Amino acid sequence: MSNLLLIAIVIVLGAVGYVLGRKRALNTAGGNIRDLHSLPVYYGANTAMTAVVPAMGLLLVWLLVQPMVVNNAVSGMISDATIAEAGSRDLVMSDVRRVADGLDLAVANGAMSGAEASNLDPSTSDVRGILAAVGVALGSDVSSETLDAAQRYRGMSGTGSIWKAVVVIAASVAGLGIAYMQSHKDFRARNIVERGVLALLIFAASIAILTTLGIILSLVFSTVEFFRLYAASDFFFGLRWNPSFSGRGGGSELGILPLLWGTLYISFVALIVAVPLGLFAAIYLSEYASNRFRSIAKPLLEVLAGIPTIVYGLFALLTVGPLLVDVFGSGGLLGVDWMAGGTAVMTAGLVMGIMLIPFVSSLSDDIINAVPQSMRDGSYGLGATKSETVRQVILPAALPGIVGAILLAASRAIGETMIVVLGAGAAARLSMNPFDAMTTVTAKIVSQLTGDSDFASPEALVAFALGISLFIITLGLNVFALYIVRKYREQYD
Amino acid sequence: MEDHYRMDRTMSTAQDTKISARNVQVHYADNHAIKDVNVEIGDKTVTAFIGPSGCGKSTFLRCLNRMNDTIDICRVGGDILIDGEDIYDPKVDPVQLRAKVGMVFQKPNPFPKSIYDNVAYGPKIHGLAANKAELDQIVERALRRGAIWDEVKDRLHAPGTGLSGGQQQRLCIARAVATEPEVLLMDEPCSALDPIATAQVEELIDELRQNYAVVIVTHSMQQAARVSQKTAFFHLGNLVEYDDTDQIFTNPKDPRTESYISGRIG
Repeated sequence: MSNLLLIAIVIVLGAVGYVLGRKRALNTAGGNIRDLHSLPVYYGANTAMTAVVPAMGLLLVWLLVQPMVVNNAVSGMISDATIAEAGSRDLVMSDVRRVADGLDLAVANGAMSGAEASNLDPSTSDVRGILAAVGVALGSDVSSETLDAAQRYRGMSGTGSIWKAVVVIAASVAGLGIAYMQSHKDFRARNIVERGVLALLIFAASIAILTTLGIILSLVFSTVEFFRLYAASDFFFGLRWNPSFSGRGGGSELGILPLLWGTLYISFVALIVAVPLGLFAAIYLSEYASNRFRSIAKPLLEVLAGIPTIVYGLFALLTVGPLLVDVFGSGGLLGVDWMAGGTAVMTAGLVMGIMLIPFVSSLSDDIINAVPQSMRDGSYGLGATKSETVRQVILPAALPGIVGAILLAASRAIGETMIVVLGAGAAARLSMNPFDAMTTVTAKIVSQLTGDSDFASPEALVAFALGISLFIITLGLNVFALYIVRKYREQYD
Repeated sequence: MEDHYRMDRTMSTAQDTKISARNVQVHYADNHAIKDVNVEIGDKTVTAFIGPSGCGKSTFLRCLNRMNDTIDICRVGGDILIDGEDIYDPKVDPVQLRAKVGMVFQKPNPFPKSIYDNVAYGPKIHGLAANKAELDQIVERALRRGAIWDEVKDRLHAPGTGLSGGQQQRLCIARAVATEPEVLLMDEPCSALDPIATAQVEELIDELRQNYAVVIVTHSMQQAARVSQKTAFFHLGNLVEYDDTDQIFTNPKDPRTESYISGRIG
């Protein structure tokens, strides 16, 4: 029985439970809603919940545990010789699973009957050919050992899924029954449903946190793997980035410093652009602009935030880069020869700065608006002009929030990828010239992992070390930003 | 015209008129908030505006230093003269005007700066001090006038927001007098304060009368009776009655005034 059908059955049981529970509760009260402890919907919801939730939980656990159990049982059947020949147990097991799945598919497609599939003999029939006919390609002929294991695998999985269906449906029916019996007019269904809601909310919140943990863990494991292959001191203090993809290992220089320098340099240029423009825009919008202008201009400014960064990247590559070369390149308007190609720190930084303007302006605008009107009144009442009020009263009051906004923009800049991939070039370089091509941590993560990469080589694994370094930097910035905002926030009551 | 106007109002005491308002109208969008108000406010006098909530007394107060200019939908009609000069004349700079007509607000609103910088804010903006020593003097004088000097002289560089409510309000008054205004407008200055702080501020208001024309909006009739020499009663945007405070509270001419002070409308 397929999982989808099983889920559907459980949901139908839940719906039935809703109707039954509601009805029974009403009956015990003689049809008078006032005699019930809770509204009828709560009895229905409680019954539905008890029918669905434990059954679904059971299904989830079963789905996780069954493959592990079957795998363990089957992998015991494979001899050491086979494992040695294939290279690793995992490879053999994946073959076994493919054969098993292929046979199931063949039966489902009608290429052979269930009995035929169970009694296949590798010496007489061409298992590989049969499976290829239903679209499952195998790397080699199927040995009898593999086939046996596959048959065992099929058998255990088949029994498992029958039991799974039985147990899940039984759990659902049992839940329905219990809740149905409980649905009495004095039963506090409302409180139970309330707890159900609480559990749902906690579940949603913990998913986000657990995902973060999962991301960190996956990064950490690969990073540890990387440092086993490549010295940590060379990674953190190496001044050259020169990965070789020719041979396996050796010859690569994987220093993070040139990449980090590029990242920080480009982010710095971006902030130089974004902070003044964004801040001034925010001040104009919140203090000077009329309501009508503000209601038009603010959404327009926020449209900038909705542009995909790849489009910004194209803008950098096709428009800003050539424009800068026309000015700063050889034979350009200024008659200097600072810029060799369109891709440069300046190109990426300028465009990234434009991307960050709505970030800074939107956050700052909210913060400036949160400064109480009484501050402004106090200042105007003393005969201050608007700009004096902004400079001496509003900005100091809003400063912690603005610093927070800038730090958030900075961590956004550091993590930005597409603009630098297209706008900054690919050369890892430690240079002060903002018109040189440089590259960033993110851009190099992309280039190390795209294409054919061998995930056991330091050249690919370095991406995870880069990723976690970046993660720590931006995490640190965010924490620092929150700390600043909390510590220096004025408490206006 | 001027004489005729005075006679019309039948002022009971002869004082120098500091502010005179004639036929003042205020509209908030379609809402006619102040209807045809005429009033003469004397110099070196405390004038109280009383009336039920929403009667327009705060709105009228804010007309006197053009604070209503900062509200987009607000329109002010009629003439308001300070020392005979129309403050709504296009030649008048509202920013300069507000330096001359200081204001204290309902809720204490010290800036998020040190006590010293709070008081020095106005003098710095208007260039009243030539050097640091002079500024120090101005700050000290203002804080003394605000009757808060003794409490804060040892912590001038502590944040003004760290003071208690009553101290904050006296700091705001000191801040307002630091720019050497001629008129001091107070919009319910004691409504956020406890009785002790209120008493201190009231005492202060009485002292300020020696140097300034003080206009105070208040919800407390006892306060009006205690601190003011003249009282104006507003109701539904109209100035119902304006007279000596004693007169208003003991022998009101208008039945609405009588109803209000005896607690029947409000």
